[in-house]
Amino acid sequence: MSFLSLNGISRSFGTTRAVADVWLDVHQGEFFGLLGPSGCGKTTTLRMIAGLEKPDSGSIEFQGSDITNLPPERRGFGMVFQNYALFPHLNVFDNVAFGLRARHKTKAEMAERVASALELVQLPGYGKRPVDELSGGQQQRVAIARAIAIEPALLLFDEPLSNLDVSLREETRSELRELVTRLGLTAVYVTHDQEEAFALCDRISVMVGGKLMQTGRPRELYEQPAEISVASFLGRNNLIKAMRLSSSKTAEGEFKTLEGGHTLHLPVKHEDLAPLNKPVFLAIRPEHVQLSTNDHEAENSLRGNIREIVFAGATSTVHVDAGGLLLEALVLRADGFEVDQPCSVILPKDRLTLLKNGRG
Amino acid sequence: MNTDSLRQIRFYPWRSVVLFFITAVVLVYGVIYPNLSVLITSFQRAGAWTLVNYREVLSQWVVIEAIVSSLGLSVGTVLLCAIVGVPLAFLFERFTFPGRRLFAALATLPLVLPPLVGTVAFIFLFGESGILAHGIQNFLALENPPWRLRGWPALLLFHTYTMYPFFYVLTGAGLRRIDASLAEAARSLGASKTVVLRRVVLPQLTPSLLAAALLTFMTSMASFSAPLFFGGDVRVLTLEIFTARQRGDAVMAVTETVVLAIISLGALVFFQRYEGTRKFAAAAMKGAPRRRAIIASGKARVLATVVAVIFAIVLVLPVATLFLVSFAREGSWTTQTLPSDYTLANYQRLFADPFASEVFFNSFTMSAIAAVAALLWSFCVVTFLRRRRFVGRRLVSLLVLIPWALPGTVVAVSVADAYGSPGSLLGSFVLVGTFWILPVVYFLRFMPLVVRALQASMEQLDPTLEEAAGSLGARAWQRFTRVTLPLVWPGAVAGTLLAFVIALGEYVASVLVFVPGNRPISIAIASELRDFNLGAAAAYGVVLIVIISISMMVAGKLERLRS
Amino acid sequence: MRLKLFWLACAILAIALLLSCNSGSGNKNRLLIYTPHGQDLLKDFIARYKQQYPDADVQFLDMGSREVLERVRVERNRPQADLWWGASHTTFQTAAEENLLLEFRPSWTDKIPASSRDANDRWYGTYETPQVIAYNSEEVSEAEAPRDWDDVIDPKWRDKVLIRNPNPSDTMRAIFGAMIWRFYKDTGSPDKGYDWLRKLDANVREYTADGTLLMQKLGRREGLITLWDMPDVRLFKEQKNFPVGYFVPASGTPVIIDGIAIIRGAPNQEEAKRFYEFVTTPESLVYAAHKYYRIPVRTDLDRSQLPAWMNEPFTRLPLDWDLLRKNGSEWLRYWDTEIRGRN
Repeated sequence: MSFLSLNGISRSFGTTRAVADVWLDVHQGEFFGLLGPSGCGKTTTLRMIAGLEKPDSGSIEFQGSDITNLPPERRGFGMVFQNYALFPHLNVFDNVAFGLRARHKTKAEMAERVASALELVQLPGYGKRPVDELSGGQQQRVAIARAIAIEPALLLFDEPLSNLDVSLREETRSELRELVTRLGLTAVYVTHDQEEAFALCDRISVMVGGKLMQTGRPRELYEQPAEISVASFLGRNNLIKAMRLSSSKTAEGEFKTLEGGHTLHLPVKHEDLAPLNKPVFLAIRPEHVQLSTNDHEAENSLRGNIREIVFAGATSTVHVDAGGLLLEALVLRADGFEVDQPCSVILPKDRLTLLKNGRG
Repeated sequence: MNTDSLRQIRFYPWRSVVLFFITAVVLVYGVIYPNLSVLITSFQRAGAWTLVNYREVLSQWVVIEAIVSSLGLSVGTVLLCAIVGVPLAFLFERFTFPGRRLFAALATLPLVLPPLVGTVAFIFLFGESGILAHGIQNFLALENPPWRLRGWPALLLFHTYTMYPFFYVLTGAGLRRIDASLAEAARSLGASKTVVLRRVVLPQLTPSLLAAALLTFMTSMASFSAPLFFGGDVRVLTLEIFTARQRGDAVMAVTETVVLAIISLGALVFFQRYEGTRKFAAAAMKGAPRRRAIIASGKARVLATVVAVIFAIVLVLPVATLFLVSFAREGSWTTQTLPSDYTLANYQRLFADPFASEVFFNSFTMSAIAAVAALLWSFCVVTFLRRRRFVGRRLVSLLVLIPWALPGTVVAVSVADAYGSPGSLLGSFVLVGTFWILPVVYFLRFMPLVVRALQASMEQLDPTLEEAAGSLGARAWQRFTRVTLPLVWPGAVAGTLLAFVIALGEYVASVLVFVPGNRPISIAIASELRDFNLGAAAAYGVVLIVIISISMMVAGKLERLRS
Repeated sequence: MRLKLFWLACAILAIALLLSCNSGSGNKNRLLIYTPHGQDLLKDFIARYKQQYPDADVQFLDMGSREVLERVRVERNRPQADLWWGASHTTFQTAAEENLLLEFRPSWTDKIPASSRDANDRWYGTYETPQVIAYNSEEVSEAEAPRDWDDVIDPKWRDKVLIRNPNPSDTMRAIFGAMIWRFYKDTGSPDKGYDWLRKLDANVREYTADGTLLMQKLGRREGLITLWDMPDVRLFKEQKNFPVGYFVPASGTPVIIDGIAIIRGAPNQEEAKRFYEFVTTPESLVYAAHKYYRIPVRTDLDRSQLPAWMNEPFTRLPLDWDLLRKNGSEWLRYWDTEIRGRN
């Protein structure tokens, strides 16, 4: 039994399908991320979990019971909004106490819990302040305090850091993670920032165009994206259009690139997904592409010319034209490489990923 | 978030001086000087300063009764208008269903129905021998009419019909401003829908509700036509003032006027103080705009549609009645439920009369002048009302509202008194007997509406936008025309249109000061009524409503000019 | 776009300025009349006047007689109008005593009774209006209709009587005053008159805001009996086909004199005098009698030229108009505060 399950939920607004058939399991104590470009339906999914939107179809289960039709106030989830949604007519204390008041807590308990919540977000003694006198970062902390004060069964975050500046964002990020871990809470966190998602989340689901593309640990997603959309969304990636050549049932597949006509070998796990004579995509991260000026014969080694070298401080990106196939390689030092110099490019076969042709 | 930045917009001194000069000149010449003489008269008896007028007025229990009735009527009107207007605003602002657009298009109709025409329509519709009462009487074969359009119920009905749009419009605007995520946050914190309404939505709606309550209260205090026509035995202050004037007791009338003004302005001060404590910057937080929820459930959908249709019918009925009267043959419609004999004679009479086109032209021109002048001047005033540090802010906003708090007759008489002959004020001029007196009176009476509308729009304006424009090198005039004006334009147009439309039907002040060269529509209507030509009066009313509808359509286009 | 609108606004103001200049220009033969007589009568007479004096520019402002008085007061320092045509003699007397009217002796000074003119020539009577008891002739038969004042306060008419609000109405003020005077002349106190008004108030269904509504409501049977003036009732009966009949009260009725006066300080006195004379010639009076139901005051007319009903005899109620005028306001105030709607 999972802690939270989304069972094939869908939601349309007019003719646009915001969320299409999403299945998802969140485990207890986990910091779970929903990652995707803006407009991908991740916020709508979160709002359905919160009960602010009703799915058109599918169901949501929480700790084994169906909560699809439960109104938001009876779910007991805390939510932090992108714009914080602090009540402008109430001061900090009353904002944080709002949920407690709705639960008819005694005055003393309320005061104690508000104080400890404010303590947790490092805003002790701010209770009397009007919220519009606080800075953006402080407002954000009040919003978090308000959500944790009700001791939520599940914490929902809707891009809570996107209105903060960069340095504040990184600082708040680690505090947030620490806070959630310390309180032993389960959290669902929506963001479009992959770096943020990687830093915060135990597991991440990538959403594109209303569909859930891939779920996994950050490293898994990064190194073995299953879908072209995931691969292109998560950081820089070399996408190589290729066709499978051999039909042997060995663990190794043989592919011919459509540009350049090179032959590449890689282990095939999803054999059935790469039919013969149909273009598929292979992906490899620039940092995994090996460059050498020596002409050495190795597996998956292609001949090419250096087109451009972009210096970026600690690393440099080298653009190579391998007989029409354009590739990027990330190197620590670009010494010894020059533009127009011939070179060989090695694509290690354990770093090459065969993508599901999700939207290709 | 940072309201202080309002103050940081720098004004070049000379520009401030010019704006201040314009503001001050209009206030001194238009509000202070004419009304001062009213105030002074009320404190004088036989040339000596005295309180005896007040003692006399307030020792009469009829006056006390009138004060109590006026207050009761106004409070009752405010409550009823809130009860009708606020739920309607919620229904039509928050949900979408068939019939919504129809109602939304008609919602403000009562506001623009000229009182003189509106009362006549009401009498024919709701009067004891009117269409409804007659229809019910015939249908149920009753011996007597089922009701009489008299006294408190009639007054409250008419007031609610004509003034509920203040609540409807302002609540609707307030609802649109509330960040939808606040209600969601409250619900995710465990608050039920009713708790959200009580503790999140209503507190944030307070400024809108207070503004609506104030407008309704003041309009109701100054209401004259309704108590005159179907007040029955209800004595209100405006009627007492009218009666005192008719008896030739000018001092008593003036004293009662001051009492009325004090009550209205007292309400204003009370509301403003309360408003001040409840004002919160709408913060620069950007929230998700709320989508109107689609009422999908069958029963609720039918109910909402039925409500919308009923309200649309109620709104249209008086106008439809007017239409009917304008086509009824004179004298033919006595005891029948609906007129039996129809004719175009009333319209023929109207269009054959060269006077008719003249009065329409006059009213149109004068109302347009007054409304445009009010718009231009409002920008001057609002510049000062926006600056928190401006010492006279309270005073200016009070002065601006004085003409609205006074009955129309008083405004006209005080202006005519002050500008009837070259007066003691420096650079005084004579208005009485000129074309200009009516545009001036219209301007004074209705500019408070424009100022309030503009002020409301300005308060929603994010001051950082003007600062951004300034930082991009825009000079004051450019900042104003390129940034401020387009953003406050819809609100300004709405306020100006309202002033224009109400001025088109103005009667009580016009009758005292109009001249042959500026005879307005309302005078023509009153003339027809005096000559017992109800049909012709109704025909004038119908044409007036057509003109108003066209103006509103044009204004709708103007509002959309912003891009 | 914004700028264009700004210029548009400026243009509107400029055009308005031009318009106002036009309307302000003076004309030698311009004549401005304040009148409650109604636009039909005014337009008719102005057209007839212009046939005789084509160079005249006659304008009129049409409003109630009390509104005329208010305006003339307001404009005291800078009179706008030249002629005031129409109002009861009590209103004219008030205006005369406030020094608002100019002395003028028309050519027919000695052709009317001394009681129908101001002793100091500030106003002269033109028409006379007897007051009558009117009833809805479809609901009330001639036999049961009230024939005298005291019949109207009979309890059988409870809730059946319509009265026009007397405050702004010279007609109603005269009737109320007459009712009090009936008793005052014997007792020297208004108390018995007040009692009579109390009984009337008990029968009153509604005090209507104006005469038009009064007749409408009578026609629509909201009430069955009213007190109003003879010419209007006849006009409704004959021209508007209203089901209405009337009796002149048997014990006598107050007759209001409707007058004409020149306003003190009038800008165009000569033209005003000419119009004054024109509308009071025997021809004009006979014309108004036939077309507008106005009963002429002049005694030198050939009565046979008048409509027959104007020659029907009726009893006049002699009144002390000066006393009425002096005490009328106080009586009315008493009625307003102590009697209206309290019975």
